[in-house]
Amino acid sequence: MTGVDIEELRENLLQCRRCGICRNAVYEDEGFNGVCPVWKASSGFETSFMRGKVQVALALLDGQLERTPENAESLYTCTLCGNCSQICAAEFNAKDCLEKVREVFADIPNEIRDSLARAIAQTGNPYSEKPSAKRSWIRQMGFKVPTRGKTLYYVGCTTGLRLPDVAKSTARILKAGGVEFAVMESEPCCGSVMLRTGRTKEANENAQSVAQSITDSGAERVVVSCAGCLRALRKDYPERFGIDLPPVLHITEYAQQLINEGRLRPKGYPKVTRIAYHDPCHMGRELGIYEAPREILRSIPGVELAEMDPSREAAMCCGAGGGLRSFAPDLSRRIAADRVRTAESARARILASSCPFCEHNLAAGRDLSGSSIDVVDVAVLLASSLP
Amino acid sequence: MTPGAVVRPASTEEVSRILRFANDEAITVIPRGGGSSLQGEVIPKADSIVVELMRLDRMALHENLRSVTVGAGVTYGVLDKFLKPNDLWVPIYPESSLVCTVAGNVAVNGAGPGSSTYGSIAEMVLGLEVVLPNGEIIQTGSEANPNAPGPFMRYAFGPDITGLFIGSLGSLGIITKVSLKVFKRMHHFDYNTYGFDDSSKAERFLLELRNNDVNALFATLYEGRILNFFMDMLGDEYGIPKHEWPAYTVSVTIGRTREDQLISDAEEAKRICSELGGEVIGVRELPRGEWTDRMWVFARSSYAHGWHWRILYHHQTPINWHKSIDEIWKVMDKYGLLGHTAGFLTDHSSYNLYPMIFFDPADKEEEQKARRAHAELALRLYETGAVPFKLAPYWVDGVKDLERYIEFVKSVKRLLDPKGIMNPGVMAGV
Repeated sequence: MTGVDIEELRENLLQCRRCGICRNAVYEDEGFNGVCPVWKASSGFETSFMRGKVQVALALLDGQLERTPENAESLYTCTLCGNCSQICAAEFNAKDCLEKVREVFADIPNEIRDSLARAIAQTGNPYSEKPSAKRSWIRQMGFKVPTRGKTLYYVGCTTGLRLPDVAKSTARILKAGGVEFAVMESEPCCGSVMLRTGRTKEANENAQSVAQSITDSGAERVVVSCAGCLRALRKDYPERFGIDLPPVLHITEYAQQLINEGRLRPKGYPKVTRIAYHDPCHMGRELGIYEAPREILRSIPGVELAEMDPSREAAMCCGAGGGLRSFAPDLSRRIAADRVRTAESARARILASSCPFCEHNLAAGRDLSGSSIDVVDVAVLLASSLP
Repeated sequence: MTPGAVVRPASTEEVSRILRFANDEAITVIPRGGGSSLQGEVIPKADSIVVELMRLDRMALHENLRSVTVGAGVTYGVLDKFLKPNDLWVPIYPESSLVCTVAGNVAVNGAGPGSSTYGSIAEMVLGLEVVLPNGEIIQTGSEANPNAPGPFMRYAFGPDITGLFIGSLGSLGIITKVSLKVFKRMHHFDYNTYGFDDSSKAERFLLELRNNDVNALFATLYEGRILNFFMDMLGDEYGIPKHEWPAYTVSVTIGRTREDQLISDAEEAKRICSELGGEVIGVRELPRGEWTDRMWVFARSSYAHGWHWRILYHHQTPINWHKSIDEIWKVMDKYGLLGHTAGFLTDHSSYNLYPMIFFDPADKEEEQKARRAHAELALRLYETGAVPFKLAPYWVDGVKDLERYIEFVKSVKRLLDPKGIMNPGVMAGV
């Protein structure tokens, strides 16, 4: 059973006129240098990009295709980056529709999707690690971090369990800015991956539990490191589940405030370093946050900010989103490698982002492509520039 | 229809091997570029091989020859970006430029912004590399001479073999490379609108722009009600001020490489308008929007209203523009369907129109009605003297006095494709 109105979904899918702009439009005046990262990094057949996926979805809905895992496979080889929705001439939000399609077809077996949801339900993170492991990095901080407080640092699964340097840097930034903050004893996953892969019912249950945990923490403000967490907590929770949380800020937004208020004063690098900023889809296209991370980089003396082609609203995805990193890891890495090559074309020495999930994948793409570029979180760069 | 296979070759040689195999086995082949397929040119046949050409994506600039060669997978958007650093362009922008490949567009002889001066894409083509149905690879134009420095002359070695494949809809072979003229990019533009109370004056205005060598890159004649419809879709976005539009409005973008030429042309356009009893409206945002958004303004204005549609590209002379409009409205009224038409001055003495008949894709009855209206409109337009870009089947069914021409087309088809494997039926039902 699903809460999706099937007729409305079908009507929306029929908004696609099959023009194909969502494949690989290069439109310099609008900043587009390609659209679909999956098309670009895969075999490039019709079902690799949104035009074909819409037709597959309609055929499955109408019964022209049998509902089998094989027939539904192409629906999951998508990062849901939203670049197709950004350029669609019919102003059709294909990305949101595909997410609903995944929800409708949640009964078609898909072991990867289901194992991710199971792991989150059982361990509080998709990596099946101990729930308390997300606080492990605190032991190296040299100061105590309470579990309750007005400012809650919601660490996120990838930050806490895969990229603890991002967590440590975020903590240093907050500390340097004079912000007392708390980290939950046993932080639950935000459930972003459940939402993106169509396990909406479980995502709702999970969200209620997350909201309760945040309330229990006494938080009046939530700070996150991850673009996926940010989108889930700030946008998905209220819009899809009617959950109102205290204000949720990305660390780059909060740090920008602290810099503007003079509470953080980056001292900079000894020599000029050219840094390209990768816009995470959840922060950029989804929430319109383009300036805060760039402002932070500009505020660090010695940083020369490079723009990739494409960037901002037309930025190509890192390849990790929409569950693709789990569904098709090789494809996901190839997409990341392509993004790394774009950063190299911009003559950047560092590829920065503000999403640990992006960085985790971009680093894999860097290794795949043989590049020597450094992939670093904006928070890490800022923290390392603080006195 | 479900094809038997879809293949994505990466080279001309691979295309050749595929066609040799298909020809030996008598398997139908559907060539496919960007797949915009605005008139259903690339719909697969059952058990056919779809040859998708997007991997043929190489480009080579021949600066001293004022030409460029592109593989069959290169779109106009990609080509424009490639040429821009050299301050060059191919000054025709089909309004599906972000999707359609140059080669696919040559196969349908498309047009778009820029065509009001430069004509359809055929006029830009200097030569083609084509894989024939039996797998043989041929080169047309000056490049047929392997010692030539590159593409500089289309009409080399006698008859225009290049032209045979332009507009052939992939029914005579697969175009794998296209060589095109390139021009210095223009940076001086004048945008203006001109109003007329009578269609004959507006039509004459278009003709006189051409007669007086006004370099109108894009000149569009709007009926008042159509213009209001367009305003509903894109007016705000283009920042077009509210205006009481006259019965007929001509929206013109003049472009020149030199400013002195531009000033002279802009003055001349105003003079012609005034002499014909028209009004220089002065709303510049409309043509500016059309031109700056030229790579997809058609797609946007066609899709933003929410309908699906059937389209009927054709050419009239500018002086007969009203004949197409009259027939379009008659058919819309007869079938009780909605739709509109737009178009633009194209080439020496032609006006390209593309009437669209709307339908709701969820309403099968309405879709069938749109099909019947479409077929009737094709017949009516033919009788007004209009000609299509290409011989789509619906331009042939039931038309009179075209039998000998169609027979000749069939002879050519039999000669090049005796087994009839290439995109059968797409050209004149052949």
